Amino acid sequence: MTRATATRPNPPPKWPYTVAGLALVGVVLAAGWSLEDARWERLPQFPGAIWQYAAQMIDGVLTWPGAHPDGQADPDLTYGDWWLQALKLMGESVALAWIGTCVGALVSFPLAFLAASNTAPWFVRMPVRTFFNAIRAVPEILLAVIVMLPLFGLNPMAGAMAIGIHSIGSLGKLTLESIETIDPGPVEAVVAAGATWWQRIRTAVIPQLLPETVAFWLYRFEVNIRASAILGVVSAGGIGALLNRVLRGREWEWGGIMLVVIIFVTILVDQISAALRHRILHGAEATAVAA
Amino acid sequence: MSASGLGHRAGDRSDGRSDGGSDGGSDGGHSIVFDDVSVVYPNGSRGLAGVSLTISPGEFVVVVGLSGAGKSTLVRTINGLVPVTAGRLSVGGTEVKSVRGRRLPRLRADIGMIFQGFNLVTRRSVMSNVLTGRLHAQSWARSLLGLHTKADKEIAFEALERVGIVEKAWVRASELSGGQQQRVAIARALAQQPSVMLADEPVASLDPPTADRVMRDLRQINRDLGITTVVNLHFLDLARRYADRIIGMRAGEVVFDGPATDADDAVFERIYGRSLTGEDIST
Amino acid sequence: MTGAALERRDGPQGPVRPAKPPPSPLLIGGVLGAVAVTGVAGWAIDFSLTPVIEQWSTLMMILGEVVHPEWAEITDPTSRLWTALMETAAIAVIATFVGSLIALGVALLGSKVSAPPGIYRVTKSVMAVIRSLPDMAYALIFVAVVTGPLPGILALTVFNVGIVAKLTAESIDAVDQGPLEALDAAGATRWQRARAAIVPLVLPSYASYVLYVFELNIRASVVLGAVGAGGIGQLIMLYFNRADYPRLAAVVIVIFVAVIAIDLLSQALRRRLV
Repeated sequence: MTRATATRPNPPPKWPYTVAGLALVGVVLAAGWSLEDARWERLPQFPGAIWQYAAQMIDGVLTWPGAHPDGQADPDLTYGDWWLQALKLMGESVALAWIGTCVGALVSFPLAFLAASNTAPWFVRMPVRTFFNAIRAVPEILLAVIVMLPLFGLNPMAGAMAIGIHSIGSLGKLTLESIETIDPGPVEAVVAAGATWWQRIRTAVIPQLLPETVAFWLYRFEVNIRASAILGVVSAGGIGALLNRVLRGREWEWGGIMLVVIIFVTILVDQISAALRHRILHGAEATAVAA
Repeated sequence: MSASGLGHRAGDRSDGRSDGGSDGGSDGGHSIVFDDVSVVYPNGSRGLAGVSLTISPGEFVVVVGLSGAGKSTLVRTINGLVPVTAGRLSVGGTEVKSVRGRRLPRLRADIGMIFQGFNLVTRRSVMSNVLTGRLHAQSWARSLLGLHTKADKEIAFEALERVGIVEKAWVRASELSGGQQQRVAIARALAQQPSVMLADEPVASLDPPTADRVMRDLRQINRDLGITTVVNLHFLDLARRYADRIIGMRAGEVVFDGPATDADDAVFERIYGRSLTGEDIST
Repeated sequence: MTGAALERRDGPQGPVRPAKPPPSPLLIGGVLGAVAVTGVAGWAIDFSLTPVIEQWSTLMMILGEVVHPEWAEITDPTSRLWTALMETAAIAVIATFVGSLIALGVALLGSKVSAPPGIYRVTKSVMAVIRSLPDMAYALIFVAVVTGPLPGILALTVFNVGIVAKLTAESIDAVDQGPLEALDAAGATRWQRARAAIVPLVLPSYASYVLYVFELNIRASVVLGAVGAGGIGQLIMLYFNRADYPRLAAVVIVIFVAVIAIDLLSQALRRRLV
């Protein structure tokens, strides 16, 4: 046995990590200091205030839907009306997210083949990739404000199209990345058998790609439901506009009902979508085992 | 625990098994006693069927058999990674089944283990990996901050020196070859200052010369420190070369138990269910 | 099926060639379901592309203004635009830092590999509820306590904990079990196992998630300003309400450049991590 023939090496220096860590903390502190009107001294008020709002929200949620809330202009209004209205608007949010996702999926799928390094030459690839990156960099709300609201007016189509265009960028990027990571073996085999570009895509690339891509679409749908809430602030459809009005008006009981509807519908859609994604990616057997 | 625990271990060999053995102390090897031990997995498959064995302190035992014969199960019951469903199993006088909760880590600390896949945290340095063998002796706060005492580092260095890889101490584990990684894994187990050493197919992922080297290291450690050693091997050939005693397993039962010299071709047939071919010899 | 394939070897008089199986009912159901959902959704939001033609001239008029951005906003470093942008960046930095630190702890509680069964189930459900609310909802609630950047920071922090904890917990679930088994065998406690193996193993993924939420935060803090939670969003709402398109265009340009720059930076960093 080679015992103690080699000398013990010294440990590598630790100071680079220390310096990097201190620099990071320094940046964060500088950022905090730069926010002159952040009013950090108000931070301790948050737990108490949030607790108080939450209590009122829970009150609203637990009140019998047939009861009439206090202080409303319309004496016939019930809590039930609030529930129905929230459900209807949340339905609109889900619908516009779905349509937006469809637009994104339908446009991004063919474009992705023109952007992947194994299916397109560089002079096609560059402009398409730049297009994907450019639309990804513009937040939905700006697309809505500048392009969609003038076109469609203050209604859900504007929100759906803003989400749709933005989704083209992110779905396009995900799809092109998965095209680039497919197994090249089958493609090579098809090329060796004399296939054209289109035949190659159709028989060797798309079959490998499809499950993952459909899973991306479903995932994007989940993201878009959340994104649709913000578009309501500029009145581009969905539950966001009313949520904005109600919470700003500090109508916590009403707001609580809306938040519960949002949480419930979002989790429900997430669960369905996650189950579908799992089924698509792993097949029936794996799904049965997981269940 | 003294810093040079590994060094004086060899001298203590004579006092053999002493206490309940959960202090990871510096008595040589522990005995391992299987008394009609059975293991049935939750999915209903049978791991061990009524195994009875006595392994003496300081013995070097090789368990052979086909995959699925129960070798892995046998080794993993010893440190409680696989729970025993029936029968009694004791290590150094401590009944493994009765050890639960916080006492289980202490029992395991006294038993080093080496795996087929090395199971190193490959992103970390060799030293960090070996020091994980000292975790059992570390306070909560120290393990949070990743601080180690001088004594622990000394033990880790000695373990690395024993397997002859000390010059790689600060290299990332992922940069080492398979054989080097397995030696780091041996050093990690040694750093526990164990009384029992388990090895589950330690050479199955290595080429023959490297495999030989690893087996030689294990054998040498067993001789020097008197640590009771149980090694699983797929092939009889290596087993014959290194073992004091061979245990052959088939379908969860012990079909052969005797000195390595007795393991002839007939025994081979009993274990593997077929006769020896040229292919088996060369591996 | 295997039987048929084997028997084919017997020669031409063997069993008949199997007919092509029909597409699976699940596939048909899935496609029909997707079409039906699309139909209902389209009806619900009055899907129509005719406004694109009808309102084309309006759009062109606005875009005509947008292509002449107010450059002074960009070139003058003391303009409101730059102040707001710096505020947005500061909000994103603080929220990412604080949120990611909390998230690492939460992730360890939210994976079955590192936490006991009861704790991990509870953590997972709480995280699912937290994630189901959009960041804007948090901002709206926090803005009711105090306006300015503080509610923005808090809203994004909550949002970041949700995302980073979920992704990191999934990485922990997928961690190589070998090293963990080795640590169990060495007598490590649950806590030591997390510190010595799980955290080092998930660190690269964790770091890339942190960079990912930082990108998201830059985008999100644009939006949060729209509800009064500080940052550049407040400017967007101001110019939108005034229909001041040249200034709005200046904001768009700056955001566009900032997002792309951060994107490139974080991609470069992530490549080094993996």
